[in-house]
Amino acid sequence: MPRYGMVIDETKCVGCYACRVACQNQNHLTATAAYNFLDEREYGTFPIVQREFQPIQCQHCDNPPCVTVCPTGASYKREDGVVLVNPTDCIGCKYCIAACPYDVRIINEKGFVEKCRFCIEFVEEGGTPACVTTCMTGVRIFGDLDDPKSEVSQYVAKNRHRLQHFKGELNTKPRIYYRKA
Amino acid sequence: MEQKPFTISRRTFLKGTAATAVTLSMGTLDFRSWARASEQGPVTRIPSLCNGCGNRCAIFVFVKNGRVWRIEGNKEANGNQGVVCPKGHGYLHDLYTPNRVRGPLKRVNGRFEPISWEQAYKEIGQKINILLLDNTPDTIFWVNFPQANHAYALRLMHAMRSPNYCTHGSTCYTARSAGWNFTVGKLPSNDLKNARFIMIVGRNPAAGIDLGQVKDIVKAREAGAKLVVVDPRCNETAILADEWLPVKPGTDLALLLAMINVIVEERLYDAAFIERYTVGFDYLENEIINYPPQWAEKICDIPAETITRIARQMAAEKPRALVHRGYHGAFGSQYLNSFQTARAVAILNSLLGNINRIGGVYFSQSAELGELQPTHPVPEGPLVPKSDGTGIPGRYPLGAYGDGISHAIPELALRGKLKCGFVYHNNPLRTNPNPKRVIAGYKKLELLVVIDPVMSETASIAHYILPASFHLETDEAIDTKHTGKRAQVTLQQKAVEPLFDTRSGFQIITELGKAMGVGRYFNFTLEEANELRLKPLGVTLADLKTEGVLPVGEPWKEGFEKLDTPSGKVELYSATLERLGYPPIPRWEAPLVSPDEKDPHSFRLIHGKQANHTHAMTANTSYLMAISHRYDLIRLWMNHTRAEKLGLKDGDLVQMTSLVGEGKIRVRLTEGLHPSCVWLPSGYGIFSKHLTTAYDQGVSYNDFLPTLFDPAVGHAMSSEIIVTVKKA
Repeated sequence: MPRYGMVIDETKCVGCYACRVACQNQNHLTATAAYNFLDEREYGTFPIVQREFQPIQCQHCDNPPCVTVCPTGASYKREDGVVLVNPTDCIGCKYCIAACPYDVRIINEKGFVEKCRFCIEFVEEGGTPACVTTCMTGVRIFGDLDDPKSEVSQYVAKNRHRLQHFKGELNTKPRIYYRKA
Repeated sequence: MEQKPFTISRRTFLKGTAATAVTLSMGTLDFRSWARASEQGPVTRIPSLCNGCGNRCAIFVFVKNGRVWRIEGNKEANGNQGVVCPKGHGYLHDLYTPNRVRGPLKRVNGRFEPISWEQAYKEIGQKINILLLDNTPDTIFWVNFPQANHAYALRLMHAMRSPNYCTHGSTCYTARSAGWNFTVGKLPSNDLKNARFIMIVGRNPAAGIDLGQVKDIVKAREAGAKLVVVDPRCNETAILADEWLPVKPGTDLALLLAMINVIVEERLYDAAFIERYTVGFDYLENEIINYPPQWAEKICDIPAETITRIARQMAAEKPRALVHRGYHGAFGSQYLNSFQTARAVAILNSLLGNINRIGGVYFSQSAELGELQPTHPVPEGPLVPKSDGTGIPGRYPLGAYGDGISHAIPELALRGKLKCGFVYHNNPLRTNPNPKRVIAGYKKLELLVVIDPVMSETASIAHYILPASFHLETDEAIDTKHTGKRAQVTLQQKAVEPLFDTRSGFQIITELGKAMGVGRYFNFTLEEANELRLKPLGVTLADLKTEGVLPVGEPWKEGFEKLDTPSGKVELYSATLERLGYPPIPRWEAPLVSPDEKDPHSFRLIHGKQANHTHAMTANTSYLMAISHRYDLIRLWMNHTRAEKLGLKDGDLVQMTSLVGEGKIRVRLTEGLHPSCVWLPSGYGIFSKHLTTAYDQGVSYNDFLPTLFDPAVGHAMSSEIIVTVKKA
């Protein structure tokens, strides 16, 4: 059983939004609905300035608050670690949206909750998530964290001291590792 | 069901063919119901080209249940190396926009009415015959954004004996190209991947996206290369850089001259290269002494010690050090000094001995397509100057005859020198300076034919609109855009049947030729033409159709070869420029206009691209405009310190006024911008009411830009704008 995870190298993100639109197409989303977000920040005082973009999506937590609070069990975590929402069980109560500290869940026009699914059906067919393959600077690395030969696990092993979780202090235990500037 | 595209009544519309009506109902299948229905649908994969910008990235188009689903990059392509940018993903949805023109239209008493293709062609042909009774053929023009099929548009103009084939170049890149041409004979590429030190002046490949260049920069950085970005704004490429040099806009030339000064004074140049392959080094030595870093610091606001340090670091890595050859930003067409700035860039590269070297600037391999003759005769060009003045000895002597000066078209029309125009894949009403004059000029034409998939500003005032198919709906001419260490040919292929009564650009051009009485030059099909043009390259059309991208010709070889300059060498000193009365060695030249330093409201207006838009073309793309709204991108950037003096807070609405225009826009306050300027993202300010997503969102720098022509090159000098900014 793979244990899926991702590295996001924030130092490489130039804020082009290709991940957002590639994901929208892959997942048949409308123009205003997205699973990928970018948070832009600026530091310093002219002329010493630094800008950075943080790509944000479902962190596929190992301790997911969205799953804990869901009254119907629609939000669930698969054995491979991917957090999903079962549309037939979702009643659209938005409790999970309130509980998610990453603000990455959206409600679709049919009234149920959606969010990044690590393109799991596509991955199971041998594909790579659309946000990974489209990126011109190679911000994201996706794969099986338990496979010592996978690019993602090797990257994590080599750069562990440089990696951190987003809002790690909340003990959500995300499956996404960030490399910060 | 959806928004009404234009004022065509349902009854007149239904007069269209039955076939159109059938495809229409399929085409308007609601997106979400299609998405639900197609989750399990069969998928086909077609190799083709993106058309979201001029790079023509090679892609695979995935079609599900007869509808374009998504695209992926083709890994073989030099230009995009397997990846796709946001515009590529977003623009495919324009295929399904309700704003498309659904069949040929004719303007009758100010309203558009449907017309058949055959009738439209007949009427256009007749109008041209009448026009030519008392006008010369050079009153006809064609303007387009150049793409693979532009060769046939040029052929059409030549067949009509008109010299006036123009590109958008004078508003984009002609000064840059001229600077390189006069120094090394032609425009090189950048071997970014192998460079050890990269300096980029004004160009921002991370947002004015060039996928291959960004990938190469990332690879070079991973291998330890240094990256320095020179730009008044802390642009998106600067995010990847070791250092951002916030140059005062319009003074890049001072910075470059001082760097040349350091390299010459400290003898850091490649002496052997200078000796063997350049002319005029002694002249350069004499002139450059005037531009020490201490002098430049006062002009360009970059500290002298920084200039000296960067010059030394750069020289230490020669010849694997380069200054990016540039595109639009800083010296493409911005300033009075843009030509000299481009010359300085070329000269600085030459001093590093990096011309046609690994890790330097190099002459990339480009596919040389075959000709159509002898089977299909080529019309002789009229060999006369263009109406815009290019080609007249002594007028715009440094300009490009091939590109012409397209932003002169409206002025020429107002003066009666141009009477009939064809606008293809271009929208001058929005993308040319000073829209009031542009509208007046294009409206004065006796015949204006616009070829466009949507009702752009320019289309909305045309006499005839010939609707081009969306690029994913048609096959097109062989493309040679993917140059590199080895040349490639690529091909745009149909992924889905046209939704409406539209035709490919190639088909429209050739059919216009027949209608205009020069059909003998267009007696071939696309298939025949493509096969003939591929013939000398040793690859077949069938293979290209399967692969989408094929390498052709010999691989690039490192080393200096005789250049296409009068001396055959790098012209540090140009005798040609001397003869024409221009500085033969770059000399400091101030911008045409500068903001009033005593007036807190006075700024230079500069512009640039955001990653999610291409010119004005993608503004109407719902998936891309949604990003602009979600992230509040339609704002004018201003430095905090300047804003404080004006009592402005982030997000405040301001009134911006120039000599020729005014507009309101909200501000984004930043530390990442030189205080002397405000920066406006380009592509917004759509005023065609038929483009319902983009209409009335933001403003364009063209609204504020007077009609200007650089005296030497003819470019639009599009950052020579002083604006007054006040709280609205």
